[in-house]
Amino acid sequence: MSEPVLKVRDLSVVLERNGRDFPVLDGVTFDIAPGEVLGLVGESGAGKSMTGIAIIDLLVPPLRRTSGTIALSGERLDQLSAKRMRRVRGKRIGFVFQDPMTSLNPVLSIGRQLTDTMRRHLPLTRGEARERAIAWLTRVGLANPPRVFAAAPHELSGGQRQRIVIALALCAEPDLLIADEPTTALDVSVQAHMLTLLRELHEETGTAMMLITHDLGVIAKMADRVAVFYAGRVIETAPTGRLIGAPLHPYTAGLMQATPAPDADGAMRVRAIPGAMPGIGALPPGCAFHPRCERAQAICREERPPLADAGGHDAACYFPLVEEVVS
Amino acid sequence: MRGLAEAFRGRPGPIVAATLIVLLVVYAFVLPLVTADPFSMSGMSILDAFSPPIWMDGGQATMPFGADDQGRNLITAMAYGLRTSIMVGAISVVIGLVIGGALGLVAGFVGGRTDAIIMRLADVQLAYPALLLAMVIDGIATAILGRGRSNEMAIAIVIVSIGIAFWVQYARTIRSSVMVERDQDYVAAARVTGRSNTAILIQHILPNVMAPVLVIATINLGIAIITEATLSFLGIGIPPTYPSLGSLIRNGNNFLQSGEWWISVFPCLLLVALVVAVNVLGDHLRDHFNPKIRGRT
Amino acid sequence: MSLDDVLILNAVSKAYGGRASMIEKAFGRRPKGLQAVREVSFTIRKGEVMGLVGESGCGKSTIARMAAGLLAPTGGEIGRNAAMREQMIFQDPFSSLNPRWRVRDIVAEPIRTHRLRPKKAIDERVAELLRQVGLSPEDGAKFPQAFSGGQRQRISIARALAGEPDFLILDEPTSALDVSVQAQILDLLRGFQAELHLTSLFITHNLPVVRLMADRIGVVYLGELVELAPTETIFHRPRHPYTRLLIDAAPDLDATDRSLHPIPGDLPDPSDPPSGCVFRTRCPFANERCAAERPELRTVETGQVRCHYDLDLSQRAAA
Repeated sequence: MSEPVLKVRDLSVVLERNGRDFPVLDGVTFDIAPGEVLGLVGESGAGKSMTGIAIIDLLVPPLRRTSGTIALSGERLDQLSAKRMRRVRGKRIGFVFQDPMTSLNPVLSIGRQLTDTMRRHLPLTRGEARERAIAWLTRVGLANPPRVFAAAPHELSGGQRQRIVIALALCAEPDLLIADEPTTALDVSVQAHMLTLLRELHEETGTAMMLITHDLGVIAKMADRVAVFYAGRVIETAPTGRLIGAPLHPYTAGLMQATPAPDADGAMRVRAIPGAMPGIGALPPGCAFHPRCERAQAICREERPPLADAGGHDAACYFPLVEEVVS
Repeated sequence: MRGLAEAFRGRPGPIVAATLIVLLVVYAFVLPLVTADPFSMSGMSILDAFSPPIWMDGGQATMPFGADDQGRNLITAMAYGLRTSIMVGAISVVIGLVIGGALGLVAGFVGGRTDAIIMRLADVQLAYPALLLAMVIDGIATAILGRGRSNEMAIAIVIVSIGIAFWVQYARTIRSSVMVERDQDYVAAARVTGRSNTAILIQHILPNVMAPVLVIATINLGIAIITEATLSFLGIGIPPTYPSLGSLIRNGNNFLQSGEWWISVFPCLLLVALVVAVNVLGDHLRDHFNPKIRGRT
Repeated sequence: MSLDDVLILNAVSKAYGGRASMIEKAFGRRPKGLQAVREVSFTIRKGEVMGLVGESGCGKSTIARMAAGLLAPTGGEIGRNAAMREQMIFQDPFSSLNPRWRVRDIVAEPIRTHRLRPKKAIDERVAELLRQVGLSPEDGAKFPQAFSGGQRQRISIARALAGEPDFLILDEPTSALDVSVQAQILDLLRGFQAELHLTSLFITHNLPVVRLMADRIGVVYLGELVELAPTETIFHRPRHPYTRLLIDAAPDLDATDRSLHPIPGDLPDPSDPPSGCVFRTRCPFANERCAAERPELRTVETGQVRCHYDLDLSQRAAA
């Protein structure tokens, strides 16, 4: 097995409030292999976006990283100075945010933003940068690239802007692309376009990708492997097919049943998980999911289950669902 | 109440300001209850005229800040003056708030031509400084009522003049808040339920637009007090025979050159203390209620 | 209007702008208006859940607000019983509850407005409603800020039920919620539906949600109702190409078939819609007739479709 592009070990982040630290991320651990798409899935506040922000070191007080190592192609990002970290962002890690408007500078033309980004990170002349920018605009499927090159962000539609954000994230040829809810703000028909584009570019460039989303459908179509987040921890990780086909953790199974879908007879079903995910500072002892879990026993209330290393399909649960699926 | 305690936690400036305001209010409203009115015959003694402050030669223990040309004990006179100033300021702010609030609510909620008329009126008024406007209103009232008006009438005219001079700010603030609130879904929900426009405006929208204008009102209280003092100082507000900080300062001004500095300086210091305290408090409340600074949750 | 018809929309349109300004009149220019909704007709019958589905900006929320009486149509007519009680549940759980009102007053407002209970019985009724939506009666004393998005939607539901509505409009009621919270709210709504047989209009962009909730579904594209049919017909035998493409575009949970099905092309500028059929610029079956002639809303079997061709897409795909 080759060196992972991204190696995250025991990443913990706290929120400081009134002099006390509350865990936001707790012992998050995962790898992304070269060319791999890792999906981070979970509900709002589960910690999936926070993980992305912690990796590129953009945490601001009252948030603070308390432990963990982050290695990008073997280089420890957590030990870099702020100045050197700035060069990692944009050059070696590209970022696509949910809201395409906030990632674009409203007063600069699209072309200027693309050429600036490329020339900051790559040894290009003005002419070369312009040529590449036009090529990128073509590549992300925008009609009439020279016109888009000269346009300001507000002259473009939401879908067009999101394509440009993707071009901006990839134009400096990063080792890793972090896409945080890249299609959540988009309509179904535009979303499918954007996912197709992301997939094509991923296949062409071979850039490893961390895809953060709450949408299991997007995960099913895009991710090679999945890490499921709950209350600041990774509670299950598996190859996508295995996770969706036979989830081990009761929360993962619950999340899938909560998505309305037709069953084998074509009848629609939806099944809610009772209760709500505990908020920051309100974590129960033991397994964070136990108050909502039908399978919880005494040990779940007392001891926190570790993420068991079980050969690629791991779950942090004392009573995983595996037997039922086998039988 | 818990919100109020929260608003002041760990902020020494506003705490000092609030404490000072409380002390000044107690001074202004309690002392006159136990002393004779220095502006009546029984309250002054001409023998004590120009008595200096206690720490100067000839100072008297009963007159720590000295006395003025009519022998009025300054510590009592300032309490009476402060009481007038606070009352004029507060009532004129309430008048401005009621006029501006009502016009702003209607303009923002009804919109269209009504809004245009009210707002153009506001624009015209803004072309005149508030002080000038108050002087004009005072002049008109005097022209109608004649010179021989009573003290009470003069005070009422000052209050109304200042109130009218400041309605625009309230109207504009309320109007823009109303325009935001009227498009909120809770208003739509009330409409679907079948509530009348008046009920929606008064019960739903009004409570949601009050916070910013109450902050403005606090800050305006300081400006209204200054305006009253200025008018009185200029001799077109409260007559010198009636106590207000402005009329005390004006009176004292006559003796500044001849060495009796205390007659105007102490009322001046009191005015500055009151206005600074009110402004510090108002600024703090503005920051506290500003969702952009404070965050939504 | 038959006794069983709760709401009738007859060729209802809504246009914005469009009134010529003085400058435009002086220069003889035609103002650029926006036709948000164009000649939409449907009838909601007593006891049914009618779904409206479409992408953002298609006009489905405008239709909802006209049905609720919040907006007046600029064309056509809406038939409703004048004495009918309506309630509405909104998408944004934060702006739909007055932040200065206590929850018990929010829930009691429709009861007080319509005098549905004697004064003394209101408190008890509010407590009962809060329990029914999964909150506790003690929550009534709190302000909306104390609750999460899902809990706020529960309060909205309690308020809507308090009004004992003849007709309930739900405008994207779960779109702002996480999937597990959405499931709880859908469960709750389905329970009330089964128990109270509410007549309702359910608007969403989410196809699985509308399939779960609605008896009939109308599909809206660029301000037009392009197809209307019973729910299972819409999903199994869609007649309009847009319906078919929309169903296929949403990624499902099947990780073995990773294909994606975007709808070709981009959404046209709503202020300058295509001639003829509004969908023709993206339709794989479009020809000259579609550009020249606007299709009528035709009745086919159990539903209606606005397309020139009797395009039974499941058969067409098989052929």
